This record gives sequence, C-alpha cells and structure tokens, in this order.
Amino acid sequence: MSAHGRPLIELRGITKIYGGVQALTDVGLVIEAGTVHALVGENGAGKSTLVKILTGVVQADEGDVRIDGRLVHIGDPQTAHRLGIIAMYQEPTVFPDLTVSENVFAGRHPRTALRTVDWRTMRRETQRILAEFDVDLGPDTPVRGLGVADRQLLEIAKALSSSARLLIMDEPTAALSPHEVDNLFATVGRLRERGVAIVFISHRLEEAEAIADVVTVLRDGRHVATSSTAELPQAEIVRLMVGRSLDALFPKEEAEIGDVVFEAKALGRRGVFSDVSFELRRGEIVGLAGFVGSGRTEVARAIFGIDSLDAGELLIDGRPFRPRSPRAALRRGLAYLPEDRLQQGLVQPMSVSKNVSMAVLQRLTPGGVLRPRRERRLAQGFVDQLKIKASSVAQVVKSLSGGNQQKVVLAKWLAAEPRILILDEPTHGVDVGTKADVHRTISHLATQGLTILLISSELPEVLGMSDRVLVMREGRLVAELSRAEATQERVVRVAAGVEAA
Amino acid sequence: MIRRSQTMTAESIAVAAFRLREIGIVIALVGAIIFFSVRATNFLTVDNWQDIATNVALVGVVAVGETMVVLTRNIDLSVGSIVGLSAYVAANTLVDHPDTPIVLIALLAMGVGLACGLFNGLLVAVGRVPAIIATLATLAIYRGLAFEATGGGGDNISAFQLPDNFLDLAARKPLGIPMLAWIALVVAVAGAAVLRWAPWGRDFYAIGSNPDASRLAGIRVGRRVVAAFAICGALAGLGGFMYAARFASVDAVSGRGLELDVVTAVVIGGVNVFGGSGTVLGAVLGALLVATIQDGFTLLKISEFWKIFFNGAAIVAAVTIDALLKERLQSMLRRRRRAEVLATKEQVAEA
Amino acid sequence: MRQLAWRVFARWEALLVVLILIVGYWSTTKSPVFLTRVNLLDLMTPYIYIGLLAFGLTFVVVAGEIDISICSTMAVSAVVFAEIWQQGTNVWVAALLGLAVAALLGLVNGLLIGVLDLPSLAVTLGTLAAYRGLAYVILGGESRSNFPSDFTDIGGGYRLLGGDLPNALLVLFGFALVLGLLLHVTRFGRYLFAIGSNREAAQFSGIPVRRTRVTIFALSGLMAGFAGIVYLGYFGSVQADAAAGSELIDVVTAVVLGGVDIFGGSGSILGVLLALVLVTELRNGMQLDGVSGATQDLVIGVLLLAAILVGNGVRAARGRQAPWRPVLLSRKGVVQVNGVPAAAKSDSDQGG
Repeated sequence: MSAHGRPLIELRGITKIYGGVQALTDVGLVIEAGTVHALVGENGAGKSTLVKILTGVVQADEGDVRIDGRLVHIGDPQTAHRLGIIAMYQEPTVFPDLTVSENVFAGRHPRTALRTVDWRTMRRETQRILAEFDVDLGPDTPVRGLGVADRQLLEIAKALSSSARLLIMDEPTAALSPHEVDNLFATVGRLRERGVAIVFISHRLEEAEAIADVVTVLRDGRHVATSSTAELPQAEIVRLMVGRSLDALFPKEEAEIGDVVFEAKALGRRGVFSDVSFELRRGEIVGLAGFVGSGRTEVARAIFGIDSLDAGELLIDGRPFRPRSPRAALRRGLAYLPEDRLQQGLVQPMSVSKNVSMAVLQRLTPGGVLRPRRERRLAQGFVDQLKIKASSVAQVVKSLSGGNQQKVVLAKWLAAEPRILILDEPTHGVDVGTKADVHRTISHLATQGLTILLISSELPEVLGMSDRVLVMREGRLVAELSRAEATQERVVRVAAGVEAA
Repeated sequence: MIRRSQTMTAESIAVAAFRLREIGIVIALVGAIIFFSVRATNFLTVDNWQDIATNVALVGVVAVGETMVVLTRNIDLSVGSIVGLSAYVAANTLVDHPDTPIVLIALLAMGVGLACGLFNGLLVAVGRVPAIIATLATLAIYRGLAFEATGGGGDNISAFQLPDNFLDLAARKPLGIPMLAWIALVVAVAGAAVLRWAPWGRDFYAIGSNPDASRLAGIRVGRRVVAAFAICGALAGLGGFMYAARFASVDAVSGRGLELDVVTAVVIGGVNVFGGSGTVLGAVLGALLVATIQDGFTLLKISEFWKIFFNGAAIVAAVTIDALLKERLQSMLRRRRRAEVLATKEQVAEA
Repeated sequence: MRQLAWRVFARWEALLVVLILIVGYWSTTKSPVFLTRVNLLDLMTPYIYIGLLAFGLTFVVVAGEIDISICSTMAVSAVVFAEIWQQGTNVWVAALLGLAVAALLGLVNGLLIGVLDLPSLAVTLGTLAAYRGLAYVILGGESRSNFPSDFTDIGGGYRLLGGDLPNALLVLFGFALVLGLLLHVTRFGRYLFAIGSNREAAQFSGIPVRRTRVTIFALSGLMAGFAGIVYLGYFGSVQADAAAGSELIDVVTAVVLGGVDIFGGSGSILGVLLALVLVTELRNGMQLDGVSGATQDLVIGVLLLAAILVGNGVRAARGRQAPWRPVLLSRKGVVQVNGVPAAAKSDSDQGG
C-alpha cells in the first residue's frame, strides 16, 4: 500500500555528545514513506551520527524516535533490522561465498511443507524481485564474482524482500560508473513506488537533486533546513551547508614561506586517484579539501608508504623519494597523523609515554634497549607543550578524552621531528578548546619552518589555517585556490562539482 | 531491461577457479589411481578397494561432522579423543551386555559423542574460548576420560570379548561393499542433505561467510555453532562405534591422531578454513584421495612415514591456496573494477 | 598511577604464586617426599624443555599470533641432530646444525605468515603435521641414543649444590632472564606488544611489522631447537614421535595460565615461568598421588579452559567483549564500513 505522504519515521530533539563534542544538537527529522529524502552536509555535519542512531549502532543522549507514531527504542542493530531500518554503505554487506538468492534470503529461507529449504521458491522469488527492478542478475550467481554495483542491487533486493521500510543509502554512488548510477536510480524509483522510505546521503548535489523529493541540510550537528528539492537549487544548498560566520578562532601566525621542499608529480593509484600533482614549500600550510571518497586520505597514505603508488613520482628537497613504507617515509622527514586516531593512531592499552615514543623508538633506544626514563621525559615535554590533560605520562591513553588522545597522537609525530607533516582530520571529534590548541600549535610549527599538509573537512579550519587550498574530487585534484580566493562556498562548490574550478 | 554491469571477465575466472576445487580433487584422484594401478600390482583388486573403502569410511564419517564445524569458521581437534572414548564405551557395554541390539550400541556411542560435542560448542559459543584452544583442551580431557573409563589403561577390549554379530558388522560386504562403507555413505548423504536442505544447515555457510551479517540477518549464531559442534561430536561417536567394529580391539589410545587425518581430508576436500564454503562431497573426496594415496604408498612399500609428511604438506598447500584465492583475488578484482569505473568517469568528463 | 599499574600487573603473578603455594601444600599432604630439597630442585627437570617451548610461544602470542607447530619443530631439530651426530660429526657442530634447522623451520612459518599474510593458526596446523612427518621421514621408527655425556649434561646433568641442582634448571632460568629482558626491556619487545595490541597503528608508527612478525616465528623455532637439546639431555634418546603427546597442551597452558593474553598485546615471561612451575608442580603432585598420565592431561586441559574462561570473565566484567582476533582461523584486520565503527561491528573473526 503506497503510503506516500504519511510520516514513517520522526526524529525529535536528537542530541548526541561524543567525548565532549556535540555531534548532534536538537535535530529533528521527518521521513515520509514512499519518498526519497536526501541528507546533505559537510563531513562532520552529523549525517553519519544520525545514521548510527537510526541503525541502533549508538543511542542518542536526548530526543526520541517514532515509527508510525509509536515511540521506539533502537538499542542495537538487530532491533533496527527488525523494525525495517536497513542501511547500505559503500561496501555492501554480503555473504561472499553464497549465491545471490541465498544472500537475499539468508536466515529467512522459504520452507517447503517438509520444513526444508524451498530452493525453487527461493529462486523464483529472487528472480521476481530482481525482475521488478529490471536487474539482469541470476539467482544462482555466486556473489563473489559480483562487483560493487551489483552487490548494492543485491542489498536492495534483500532489503526489499525482508520488508524494509526505511532504506538508508550512505554515499552509494561513490564507486559506480554513470551507467550504474542510472541503474541504481531507477531501482530507487521503484522502491519509492513500493512505499519504502529512502534516505539518500551524498555529497554529489547534482545526484541528490536528480533523485530526491526532499532535501535536509545539516550543519555542525544542527538541522538547518528541509525543503522539497524543487525549491532548493544546488547553489542555495551549498550556502546552507556552509553558512556560518568565520570567527577569527584561528590565530594563524604569519610564517616565512621558503623554497619548495616537497613535490608530487602525477601521482596515481589505480581505482583511487590519478594525476595528482602539487608542491609544498617550507613554512607553508596547505589545505587539502574535498568530500569523503575524493581520495585525499588515499593520497596521503600513498605518500606515507602505507599504500602503494602505481604512477607518479615524489621529490623531497629535489631528490626523488620512493615511499616504500612508513619507516622509509619517516626517515626522509615525513610524518602522517592518520584519520582514525583510535584504530590507526594509538595503541590504546599503552600509556601516554609509550605512545608518544612509538615512532622514534629507534632514536630512544641505543643498543636496542628501552630507556623508560627518556621516554617519559620526552612525553612529559609534549604534555607540557601541548597541554595534554592526563594524570601522568603513565596513564593509559584509552582513558583519555578524544581531544587529549588526539594531542598524544600529534605529540607522537612531533617527536619524530618531521620536516613535512601531513595531518588528516586533526581536530575531528575534538572539543573547541583542544581545537584551538592544535591550531595554535600547527601555526607555530609553520613559523618554525615545518611544512604542513592539512587534510580537513572542516572548512573554517581549512580556510583559517591554509596559505593555499587544494581541492580534490573523485580522485583528481581539481583546483588550487589561494588564500584570497578560497571561500567556504567556493570550496564546496568545486568539491561538489557544482562549479568548474 | 536494465542490463547488469559487465562484471563477467575477471570475476567469473575467480568463480570458476573456486568450483574447480572439487573437480581438481577428482582429477587428482583419477591421476593417483592411474599412477598406482600402473606401479603397484595389487592396486586394482577388489580386496584392495574394499580395504580402502573401509578406511575411508571411518575417516569419512568423522570428516562429515568436521566439515560442519569448519564451515562455521571453527575447528574441532578433539574428534580423535571422542572416537576413542565412544569406542570404548560402546565396546565395553557390549562386553557387559552382549545381547544389546547393535543399533542401540551405535546410538550409545553417538550419545557419548554428542555430549562431548555439546561441551565443545558451549565452550566456543558461550565461553568465547577460541575453538583451537577449546578443542585442544578437550582433546586431552576426553582422552583422559577414556583412560579413566578403561580403569586406568588396564582394560583393553579385544576381539574375543565382543559378540559375533558385532564383529560381523565389519566383515559383511553387501553387494561387495563393506558394511562400514555403507554406513559412511548413508552418513555422507544425510550430511550433504542437511547442508543443502535444512535451513539451519545453510546457516552454517552464512555464519562462516560473514558472522556479523549473519547476526544482523537474525541468525542465531550461537545456537548454530553449538549445533555444528554437537553434530561433529555425534558423528565422531559413530566413528568410534565403527572403529570398535573394525579393529575389534579398543584401548585407551584408540583413535589418537585421527583428527589429523580428518582435518587433512576436509582441508584437501576444499572446505575453506575461513569458513563459508565447502561441501560434504568435497570432504569425502578428500578422505578418499588421502586414503587412496596412503594405500598406494603402502602397496609400493613406500615408507609410511612419507604419508604423515604428505598429510601435513597437503594441509599447508591447501591452506595457502585457499587463503590466496579468497583474499587476494577479491581485492585485486575490486581494484581493477574501481579503475574501470574511474576510467569511465574520466571519459564521460572529457566528453 | 604507577602504583596502580604495578598492582594490576603484579596481580596475576601474585595469584600464580598463591596457587603454587596451595598446590605445594596439597602435594605435601600426598607425600612427605615433596618438601625435600632434592625433590624440589628436581621438580621441574622433566619439564624444562616445555618451558623453553613456552617461552618461544610467548613471543608469538604477545604479537597476536599462534604457533602450534613448535613441538614438531623440536622433534625435527632433535632428530636431525641425532642423525648428523650419528654420521660422525662432532656433537657440538651437530647441535648447532640442529638449532639452525629449527630456526629455519620457524622461518618457513614466518614467511608464510608474515610475508604472505596467511593466518597463523591454519599455517602452523599444517606445519605441525608436515614437520612431524619430516621427523618420521628422517628417523623412521628408530630411536637414537648414547650421546656424549658432555652434551647430555646440559639437559640431564647435575653439577652444583653437591649434585642436587639440575643443570637444566640453570638453563631455564638463564633463558628466562635473557628472554625476559628481550621481551620487556628491548625495542624489539616493545614492537611485539604494539603489534599484538594494534597492528595497524604499529605499522603507521613506522614499526617494521613484517620483519618483526617473520622474526618471532624464527625465534620460536629456535627456542624449539634449544628445547630439543634439553630434551635430548634429559631423556638421553630421541624418536620421531618426541613431544607428540601432551606437551603441546602443557606449553599452551603454561602460556595462557601465565597471563599472556591469547589475543595478543600483553603478557610476561615471569608469568609464564610461574605458570610453568605451577603446571609442573601439579603434575608432580599428581604423579605422587599415582594419577595416570592421561588423567593428568585431563586436569591440565581443564586448567587451560579455566584460565581462558576466567580471563574472558574478567574482560566481560570490565565491559569489554572478547575480541576475536588473529589467534583464530582468519585474520581480517580492522573492518571499517563507512560510518560504522569497527567496535560496534563486533569484529567477529570466529563464527560464534
């Protein structure tokens, strides 16, 4: 029964705080059945937190969720699933060893009268569902051989057959060819006809415009606007996404900009980014902006030797550099503060001092023997310099707040005395006070001759700190803006492809 | 009609490579048979093949159970001890009560095995003890129980103590095929049927393929895992019963080392150690291949010690191949795919 | 904070000491012979080789892996030694070659696991069988003995304290000291803890993860070689089925009971040493009580399960789920699905 127009899910007053940072504040959302609802906003605007709350991965601190008018508590992913809320991410969740029909009906096999698996019905039903979407997939095709696009269609088929009521698609088109995107949209259209509500998260505004009925814009964890797509042109959306005053929060000191210390020429990694070229000068802070999936982190990882480069060359101080491993990169004076501080930046069960010394153990251990006192002294130095709030350097980092954890990671890399420091979302999920501390530190480092590549999704940060801003989109470097040219809107427009650079 | 994306080429090679696994075993089997029949004089005799069949039967029955456990991404190393324990219980009961119907004895043995398997399953699913550690421990525990049952190793049961009808079981050869092989065949068919037709059997595959997605899909992962171990135990119990029938003598060390033969059969047979894929057919073929080669070695008077080495080397090779196939191929395909996508986008952009 | 950390660290070892005393008391009730100097000093001698194997395994487990092929490696090493010596080579040269073989076998594991990134459980399950087979191929069903007493004195001789102190005990403590320093005081040891706690972060920090992982397996192989020397000294002879019995479970129990986290990232040589004492004491006591070997194994098996269950229980009480990690059949690393934190996804590498 098509229930177009009736509110299916209502969120009211949703607030969520993560370790001192307000991820969502008093967010309200109404999602109607049979509509495609686009959810847009910069990285860190709160979209993924909202999704996590809807899918039961986290719980809101305040506010409530109603389905069909009834209050529900989504305590865990299984509950969300049972309520008909299904999320699809860039990497579809499938059973790679099973066939298409088995994936669709996992755990819910149709039964024969004898209570055995009714393969024929399963195949037929799968065929029917796929046919409804005009998808040319055989029910017995092994999923292992399928590409991302097909797996997505598979997930949709699965969601549909298990009577999903709300399908959340998080950046579904990132890995698809234009042709596959068309397929997907046609499928989404059919879902809509069936009365399923779809939340479509994408930074590709032209797509959101094409497919969605309603658009909601989030900014800095707050709900900014909701309106029908017809009434909200892309340019206006961009304005709403970034519309904030740029306070002079960031005391950027003037640094003397020297010679070129780092050159990247036509860097490429198959399937991820290509033809990325840029230079960095001594004392410069260069911002690297772009949406999730644009390839910024991937470029950094390749430069730092974590992933391999398929093409291009790197020069440090004019001498070629082959990033074979993080170790090799460190030796040439590179440092990389990773995006995910918990999984990639810290060894959680270890103390502050052990974490701080981790990248420089070679230097601190003459003859291979550990010198705990030296480590502690080193760590203490940074605790003082960066104002890290810990009871002592022996405190386990797991128990520190997010902001302080981030400072520990920063300390670790500063301890390596790098000449070129790549920071990937250095103030992500960090409180305002720490943000300011970090910015002050970065700015100061630049004046001391350090070169900084700042990857960030927080526009005020990028614009406030950078001497130049590079913008990436879909794996290519599409723009280089000077400090004067770079405005929030301009950057987002270029990153979203709304405007040619 | 929306045509699906062109994912044929490289991906379908991967798929074919996977299916080839079982075909590969058959080819190896045929090759081995040809090789041995040329080199060894008695290889192709009925007698020899009845021998092979009986050997395979024992390992095969247990391998069916082990397959189910491995499918869920676990392993059971205690099967050898379960065989020993249940063999003794079965034989001992027969000695004390020689008129007991044989079927009941078989059920008794399976009951003992079931209990052992249940304990294993609970340790893994509820106790969250890694399967390798859990079954390494229960390997010792069940063996110890068997030892205690034999009164401290003293009580060895031998042929003359066992009733004739029981001993006949191993000797009978309906239609020229040893009785034990028939039992194994029935078990194999039943096992294959369960894995194919029982919804909970299909769940094993799902759990091994993606435990998180299984939970999300509402599959009771804990229960299924316990069930897999329980079945494995029960079939090991049946194996114990068959062991007693075949060897007609049971002591405290019966079945020791069997787990290695079983794991070899399963691994060679294409049951992926990562879980999620494999068939009973494969496991049985694996057992057959191993038994054939071992038999051939014996006939060729090749030191039996090469057999042991061969088992181990086969496991290492199979594991390596499985791991490489499963992970490397997938990421390689994915990268190639993304490159294609990106290239298409560039073309569109330039157009 | 330091005191608290120390209290936490020392707690498990303290518990072991308490258990050792309790079992000791029980043993005394079983037989007055227990508390004699001769018996106490000689208590551990039959198990020293197990201790060396356990030390080697400790390094592997701390780094987040597992190696169940160690007993087989020891067998090959001892068998190779015996055969080479049999051919007339100087016993010390033969011993050195035995050690080299052991390290080489460990290296094979290391390459498969560290370089090809295969799961350590599956690989060492295979090499457990393959190496055992190798031992049989080399020695067949025979046995070798009559080694020079200079050599066997290492594992079986009694030199000091008027002939009461077994040399092997000195060997054990010597290794405990050296390996303890290696694990806790060197940069290499720090690498292991980091890799075992968070392999990705370790890699990002410039730690040579691959090289280290290969090395630990070579090290555990080498320790298996040393264990073989002690074994030969104590038993005076070797067959291809050396250590094919309950030794593996004793070694694993010593490691797990010693407080080494089976999932990697923590543990101490001291703990393993104490656990070894406990296991040895327990077996000795059971021996005095006339308990059969198989039943002893049963008890050790129960002890192993108890150790893990208690560990899991403590973890659950602290609110952390037992993480399913590389000890088990698959190694998936960190699973990141866009937007869904890995923690919430309950990284299950093991079905169940």
